[in-house]
Amino acid sequence: MTQVQLRAVRKEFGSFVALEHIDLNIASGELVALLGPSGCGKTTTLRMISGLDNPTDGEILFDGKDVSDVPVRDRNVGMVFQRYALFPHMNVEKNITFGLRVRNIPAEEVEARLEEILDIVQLTQFRHRFPAQLSGGQMQRVAIARTLITKPSVLMMDEPLANLDTNLRGEMRRFIRDLQQRFNITTIFVTHDQVEAMELSDRVAVLFDGRLEQFDTPDAIYHRPDKISVAKFMGASNIFQGTIGDGVVKAGFADLAVTGTQQFDAGEQVDVMVRSEAIRLLKQPQDGAANQVEGEIRTSDFFGATVSYTVQVGDHQLNVDEHSTEKLDPGSRVFLQLPGDRIWLFPKRAN
Amino acid sequence: MATQDTALEIRSERRSAAQRNALLMRIAELAPIVIVLFVLFGGALVLALLQSLGFAPWFGINTFPDFSYFGALWGSSAFWVSLGLTLYYGFVSTIIALIMAIVLSLALIKPFRGKILYKYLYKLPLMIPYTVGIALAVLMLGNGGILSRLLALVGMIDNPGDFPQILKTHYGWGIMAVYVWKQVPFMTLAIYAVLLGIGRETEEAAAILGATRRQIFFSVTLPQILPGIVSSTLICFAFNVGAFEAPFILGGGYPDTLPVVAWRYFNDANYAFQLQGMATVVSIGIVAGVILFAYLAVYRRYERMRGRA
Ligand SMILES: Nc1ncnc2c1ncn2[C@@H]1O[C@H](COP(=O)(O)OP(=O)(O)OP(=O)(O)O)[C@@H](O)[C@H]1O
Ligand SMILES: [Mg+2]
Repeated sequence: MTQVQLRAVRKEFGSFVALEHIDLNIASGELVALLGPSGCGKTTTLRMISGLDNPTDGEILFDGKDVSDVPVRDRNVGMVFQRYALFPHMNVEKNITFGLRVRNIPAEEVEARLEEILDIVQLTQFRHRFPAQLSGGQMQRVAIARTLITKPSVLMMDEPLANLDTNLRGEMRRFIRDLQQRFNITTIFVTHDQVEAMELSDRVAVLFDGRLEQFDTPDAIYHRPDKISVAKFMGASNIFQGTIGDGVVKAGFADLAVTGTQQFDAGEQVDVMVRSEAIRLLKQPQDGAANQVEGEIRTSDFFGATVSYTVQVGDHQLNVDEHSTEKLDPGSRVFLQLPGDRIWLFPKRAN
Repeated sequence: MATQDTALEIRSERRSAAQRNALLMRIAELAPIVIVLFVLFGGALVLALLQSLGFAPWFGINTFPDFSYFGALWGSSAFWVSLGLTLYYGFVSTIIALIMAIVLSLALIKPFRGKILYKYLYKLPLMIPYTVGIALAVLMLGNGGILSRLLALVGMIDNPGDFPQILKTHYGWGIMAVYVWKQVPFMTLAIYAVLLGIGRETEEAAAILGATRRQIFFSVTLPQILPGIVSSTLICFAFNVGAFEAPFILGGGYPDTLPVVAWRYFNDANYAFQLQGMATVVSIGIVAGVILFAYLAVYRRYERMRGRA
């Protein structure tokens, strides 16, 4: 229930610049995912918000107040470490109550809060076990419980799901979302998994190479990326060159009618992006349909619910995902429709 | 020739047989070493015990089993003073070295200027022979030694002869200084390695959970470096209790520590005292063994309690 702001935060390790001028406003009670490839500065960002590291430059504010002089233990933040960092010499109970015991909370209250949190994370039956006797998912729940029991005003989680198997991962995602909503804690969640970021968060902050590329809702990040780099990271597969014409973009294989060409000058070079699932694939042409092109299927891969095609259109190959009600074979003639409102143009100059 | 050929064929077909042969060969090669080890150590132990119980026909003595040597030893009050001194030097120096080693390893974990050089320097006493350390103690800490002259020079004492007696007293500061000097680097090495292994994350987690530095040290760091502490204190204490040179040269004379007492018996012209010496050695062994075993047992129990096998 604390608003967290980063203002022009910069972090250097020796001559290496880990973070460059990060501005981030996280609303109170918001769940934000920090998304980006390995080494982009996600953990570094969390460590500075928690106070484990100090920014080289810039400031961090909680509810508008600069916290640079507030020591770690007084920031009232919670952090779930990537490798949990449980105390190996303490059992589940002792691990969970550590944050209360060091603050000299009365024993009855410790006991009451322990019972409550054990129930929430469903670890009551494991309360006397030691970390070495727990599974990965159980250890993670201990780490979360240990953090939540102190009622932090900002909760940070550093890739807490990275070590879990697919099933447990899904379960834990729902669990974290429920908890966050129940306690309404400002939460910052680190991940390098796009799906995880989108499923869990209110907003996603995409970090590349120590720079904040985009900070927006999952929907916007996915469908309306600001930069081609974000689009690529979010798994966009059809990216090609184009030239702006009159209300159209001239791609090598066709002139495509696109909304939003007016932001560009005529003749300007742009990157064109259209997601594979936005393209419609038809066996017969539709009369009068816009942006319809003819092509031939080169490969088709079955993925259960969807089939993934590569389609040769002129000298371009386009990726198309379709529902798997019918699987067309390579060599089939098909018609593709590229909806004008789902084609995204990026100026060349930015990248 | 024919049988040899078939034998070769069989061997090439059945690798496991060949491997077993190789293993037997290796054991055969090792046999001399194993035998020597057993004769030297296992055999020596048995002999020491037998001698202390009156079995020494090569001196013309055989009253086995005879507990009079132990009786005479344990019946004299000097023995108990000696035992007390031995344990006192052993315990106190181990504790002092341990505290210094913990402080040093915690400091070494943090980055600082000249760390690489320092990491070489602090290990120096490990490479310098023990007796050189004793000589250094005499040179440095004795009356008229370097330290006393230095203090006189800066005017803290009037003349070097006023320097407080550090060596050759029953407080044993000289003895313990040598033990500590030699063992701090060793313990630091062991504890620093454990610290590196556990990493900083649990300490950071504790800080975020609201622990003070003191709380972090006592409830998070210390329990985790316990394996390093136990193993290194075990080795150092065992060494200190059995060490002979330092208390012999730097000690306060009668009553001596037990190893020195034993040495005096062995050195006596009267062969019969050999057996008394053996009884002394065996007594040291029993006391040290019981203490170390109890120490390990307590530690094992603690480890089991926290879910480790
Ligand atoms: N203490 C340090 N000293 C020097 N460089 C560091 C230090 N900590 C991090 N870095 C560097 O800063 C960059 C960002 O590191 P960070 O740990 O924040 O990455 P990350 O985004 O969390 O990556 P991952 O997804 O792999 O965990 C990396 O290039 C890393 O090598
Ligand atoms: Mg990281």
